[in-house]
Amino acid sequence: MIENIKEIKKDELLAEVKKFADAKARFVTAVCNDLGDKLEVTYFFNMSPGMEMHGLRMTVGKDEEVPSTTGIFLTTVLIENEMKEMFGLKVKDIAIDFGGHMLLAQDSPVTPMLKTGAAGGKGGE
Amino acid sequence: MGIINTSRIKSPWIMHFDNSSCNGCDIEVLACLTPLYDVERFGIVNMGNPKHADVLVVTGPVNRRTARVLKNLYAQIPDPKMVIAVGTCACSGGVFHNCYNILGGVDKVIPVDVYVPGCAAKPEAIIDGVVLALQKLSKALGVAK
Amino acid sequence: MAPRTVAPFGPQHPVLPEPIQLKITYEDEKVVDVVPAIGYGHRGIEKACELNEYPKNIYLCERICGICSCIHGISYCEVVERLWPIDVPPRAKYLRTIWSEMSRTHSHLLWLGLLADAFGFESMFMQFWRIREKVLDLLEMTTGQRVTQSISVVGGVRRDIDDEQKKKCIEVLREVRKESEALINVLANDYTVKARTVGKGVLTKEQAIALGCAGPHLRASGVKEDCRMQGLQAYGDLGFEPIVEKDGDCYARTLVRCRELLQAIDLQLEAFSKMPEGEIAVRPKGNPPANEAVYRAEQPRGEVFYYAKGNGTRNLERLRVRTPTYANIPSLLVMLPGCELPDVPVIVLSIDPCISCTER
Repeated sequence: MIENIKEIKKDELLAEVKKFADAKARFVTAVCNDLGDKLEVTYFFNMSPGMEMHGLRMTVGKDEEVPSTTGIFLTTVLIENEMKEMFGLKVKDIAIDFGGHMLLAQDSPVTPMLKTGAAGGKGGE
Repeated sequence: MGIINTSRIKSPWIMHFDNSSCNGCDIEVLACLTPLYDVERFGIVNMGNPKHADVLVVTGPVNRRTARVLKNLYAQIPDPKMVIAVGTCACSGGVFHNCYNILGGVDKVIPVDVYVPGCAAKPEAIIDGVVLALQKLSKALGVAK
Repeated sequence: MAPRTVAPFGPQHPVLPEPIQLKITYEDEKVVDVVPAIGYGHRGIEKACELNEYPKNIYLCERICGICSCIHGISYCEVVERLWPIDVPPRAKYLRTIWSEMSRTHSHLLWLGLLADAFGFESMFMQFWRIREKVLDLLEMTTGQRVTQSISVVGGVRRDIDDEQKKKCIEVLREVRKESEALINVLANDYTVKARTVGKGVLTKEQAIALGCAGPHLRASGVKEDCRMQGLQAYGDLGFEPIVEKDGDCYARTLVRCRELLQAIDLQLEAFSKMPEGEIAVRPKGNPPANEAVYRAEQPRGEVFYYAKGNGTRNLERLRVRTPTYANIPSLLVMLPGCELPDVPVIVLSIDPCISCTER
């Protein structure tokens, strides 16, 4: 169980993130989960100063578009690009868009982190 | 034997390239240069420029993006050249051998002369590998040692 | 307007042994624009962690980064322990703290050496790395490996430190502290070092928070945040206070790391004196339950974030790792424009970049 997670809708995302920006919170990271037919995205913020963490969680369909939070926190640029290429999460208007090749090369598998994404065998065997 | 060949064997210049390794082997390669192990006493100098290097020391498994960089660097090193794969990942891919973005060991992309296994390879083993590479180089040049 | 030149920094660069590429646009010698191109170190560890059984992931997580590997292994174990949850015996908590701080000591010595190398202070580089070897010897003696220790298991630690080793550790750590102090004295007061670091790459407190920086980088800008403040492991007993500087330039970041280095040694000595007797590990029962957990620890480079989701089988449903450099790279976009060409390596190094961490 993770404490302090608030379930939100996709349309509320920017308004909720703005609240954190106004409270001078520090963006920690976002986590994307593949739930089968949907994607679950959780944004984590640290309430500065101190070590208290809050989360925003939204569930979106795999073909739904999600607004970018880079206008509020520039630092989300890396994680949004990563979610876009690893999970195929459709984030629109990212400040610096790497076009799906931030971490992955031209010949890497596409959206490898999805449960259906074929990803070779097991690593570390 | 000419002066160039003599110097090549007495004082090889190495260049280090990190593919996508975990840094473990990289810091061990750097540790070789520092006072405790001090490879400079054997005349081995670390270089940043591939065009000055004789020996290419490669750490880490080759991923899909570094493969091109590695080929490029290898092509820039003048002949005769030696390639040393340092660490289990560089030899075979190691724990990452079938991760989706990994092609495998360094020998998938360029020819390797000496393999130094270990995770992470100890500085003693790396120095040993360089010495082995030099023996091979002197044989290739026809200079008996 | 002066003509513009685009020059790449990396992926193979003499200053930084790791593969990152910064496409830097210069106007004469002034930096006007930076675009980071990463992906040279991406392996796909998160996916491999889903496909592997959970006890095996320790070895994969340790190889996310070879410099902070010990804390990666410990953090992975801690986050998986939170899924049950499992309570770790107190002695194991102390041992984890000691090894964490030991790897912080070696990492900060490594970084201080690399910084000296970045502005051409070669003898200082050699001296710091000479001291660092002593710390690595301690790690090898207590854990069996110099670099990737694999010391932590789910439920505790793999080895104990006996009295003889403890005595040796305390003796060597005191020596290391004395020698580091002498070197830090030079580094912090030398005119040439100050000329290269003071006022370079300034990041204000507001910028640091807005950019989500982590670790010494954040604390050098005057933000008092450190994951050790949570009081997990043995930090609660050790009276830990984070180290903060306020200038936010390369010099402040150097000072934070210098002081943290000495603090890490003090914490180890204190932990050795307070360490309780007892068990060092408990055996986890069954598989990780269907639950999710988050754990944050302070690595030498800053805050590491571990997220784990179990599903009741021996495999994890999802493991996500956010490493400190991942949070610090965006700050380069703010710090580099406006600086001079020779300052680029110093500023890039001042965030203590760890690319293999960032890309996993």
